[in-house]
Amino acid sequence: MTYQEKRSIVNIFSGLIIAIIYGLFVFHRHQQGRFDLTLDYKVWGIIFLIFIGVSIIARIIIYIIFHIINTITTKEVEIPISDEREKMINLKARSNAYHTFSLSFIAAFVLLAMGKPFYWMFIVFIISGILSEIVENTSQIYYHRKGI
Amino acid sequence: MSKSTIQNSIRKLRFNADEMTQQQLADKVGASRQTIVAIEKGNYSPSLELAFRIAHVFNTPLEEVFTYDENKPLDKKQITCN
Repeated sequence: MTYQEKRSIVNIFSGLIIAIIYGLFVFHRHQQGRFDLTLDYKVWGIIFLIFIGVSIIARIIIYIIFHIINTITTKEVEIPISDEREKMINLKARSNAYHTFSLSFIAAFVLLAMGKPFYWMFIVFIISGILSEIVENTSQIYYHRKGI
Repeated sequence: MSKSTIQNSIRKLRFNADEMTQQQLADKVGASRQTIVAIEKGNYSPSLELAFRIAHVFNTPLEEVFTYDENKPLDKKQITCN
């Protein structure tokens, strides 16, 4: 397995773990009555902004740990260079992720049109964010293995 | 995914160049070893610039490194991309 493939797998699992832990934390506070996610949309904004910050910091830490473990196990100190094929793979994978997110975006509005509560849209945004990241990283693994 | 219509003789050229490794060729052309592997297998068609750099390493004309297989029909995806 190449460095890029391992990195993609780490990205998928770290993204899932961070979102699940943060989601459970927020839901627990909602159940405790500290805020009402069904009515207070300002809280959603704060939750999203904190999530972005938490996610970036957690990913940096996870990436450093991954690189250290990879260096110890494979004895490869240098990160492989990002050449034209790598950039092409990233571009195609990002395109797939973009399409996934666009579909979820439409799904959110379909739910609103069906009369579902407004906060459902935020939940769909979170799920679509996670889903598009999974699609992006899975696509990267696929293109690395099967070619572009 | 179907193999490329562009064939190459990089493997043979590497062998003739004192059994140059894929990593050595990758370092010389500024690409990763995985890219060289993909090109050799026909899973990736390099850009014109990279193709010229590979030919330059072997001191060979481009058409001796890469050949276009006219008999192989283009698949739908390749037509769309090109």
